[in-house]
Amino acid sequence: MKKSISLILFLAASVATAAQDFNKNIVDARTSYASGKLQDSRFAMEQMLRDLDLAIGKEILKVLPAKMATLAAEENGDNVTGSGGGAGLFVQRNYGSDERRASIEIINNSPLINSLNAILSMPVLGGMMRDENQKTVKIQGYKSVLNKQVNTDTGKTNYELQIPMNNTLVTLKMADSNEGEITAAANTLPLSKIVQMAQ
Amino acid sequence: MKLQYLFAFVACVCLATVGTHAQVLNRLKQKAENKTEQKAGNEIDKLFGGKKKNQTPGGQQGGANGPGGQGQNNVGEEGGNGNPSNKGGAGLISTPPDVKQNLADADAAYKKNSYGEARYAVQQAMLGVELEIGNKILKSLPESVNGLFKEVESDKVTSTGWGWAGLTIAREYSDKKDKQFTATIANNSVMMMGVNAYLSGGYAQQTSGQQNWKQTKVKGYKAVIEYNEGSGYKLTVPIGQSSVIVFEGINFATEPDMMKAAEMFDIDAIKKELGEQ
Repeated sequence: MKKSISLILFLAASVATAAQDFNKNIVDARTSYASGKLQDSRFAMEQMLRDLDLAIGKEILKVLPAKMATLAAEENGDNVTGSGGGAGLFVQRNYGSDERRASIEIINNSPLINSLNAILSMPVLGGMMRDENQKTVKIQGYKSVLNKQVNTDTGKTNYELQIPMNNTLVTLKMADSNEGEITAAANTLPLSKIVQMAQ
Repeated sequence: MKLQYLFAFVACVCLATVGTHAQVLNRLKQKAENKTEQKAGNEIDKLFGGKKKNQTPGGQQGGANGPGGQGQNNVGEEGGNGNPSNKGGAGLISTPPDVKQNLADADAAYKKNSYGEARYAVQQAMLGVELEIGNKILKSLPESVNGLFKEVESDKVTSTGWGWAGLTIAREYSDKKDKQFTATIANNSVMMMGVNAYLSGGYAQQTSGQQNWKQTKVKGYKAVIEYNEGSGYKLTVPIGQSSVIVFEGINFATEPDMMKAAEMFDIDAIKKELGEQ
């Protein structure tokens, strides 16, 4: 309980700081533009984009589930990055302990999106790249790529599910898992809400 | 012996007859196939278009197809695939985004916690500012270079509005004959990598034979000049951290002519305008 309260307070404090930065940067952008300092205005706008990416990332964290299968969220390790440029937003949350872990990553403009979409939209290409450890599945109506990786040392099977949605890529990773568990966990994610917020 | 000649003669006649028969049969077969194909074609035409194909002397099909049909259409009436062709239009309005309005929209969206909308508005505002910077630089460029006058229609400012990833400013000068000079100012890290590879000394410079490129200086800035028989001179000047100016000269007589043309540009002012250090 205490942990949850402290997390809420932390998030609220972060959002308040981001709001201050955004307000300061928008004032800078306006005044620089009005005085003809286009470079300074553009720089302030770049900072605003970064502030917005951070705010969006924090909003996304709020809608992520507190549990992934049986694994509890490690909210202290939440990571939100906004570059304000082409790379854009990055959100990460980890679940579980060291023995058994899961993670969700949400990335805007990931360079992987094009190749994933190519696999998903062109059956011929998908066929040529046929890999027994890779298959296409549907999660909440979104075509996704499921990758299986067997750890030869431990004999455990790790899964990775990649869900490309327009320019946002959601990646769910689960160690020592199975196909049923990772797809069930993915179905608990509010994907349409995440994509709406991220774009 | 005579009998052997007789057998040989009869055998030749038989083979010739068989050959002729085979040719006749082949011709008949071809004709039958052509007729069948034509008949089948007509039936298909009737089925889909309701009209018969017109055969031209050259064997090409005439344009009697209805909308959606294939074939040659009357120019000016219909485009390819039977769709009407566009005869005119004002095109797109090339107004850059309103920076002030977009900043106001971003502010309002942020206050409503609509961060996605706010981000879109900020990106539009950035696009507007970058285009303004580009246009300002374009205005500062010389009106003429070594007797070549600017081609106003070719002036171009392109921006992705995405953090300097693709601001490009281009201007052309020409004598309306065969001499041309182009200045392209770009903020492009990929281009910069290429030029810096030359400048950092990773490539050997030739001292004998045909010299196609070499390092030089333009108004104190390190640069690379290249010559190509087909495309002429190309002078690349990196400025600051991520910007570059590329001058291209077609039908310039000598290297000094090309250098003189490039030196007419105020590189310091361009660098300052781009915010480069």
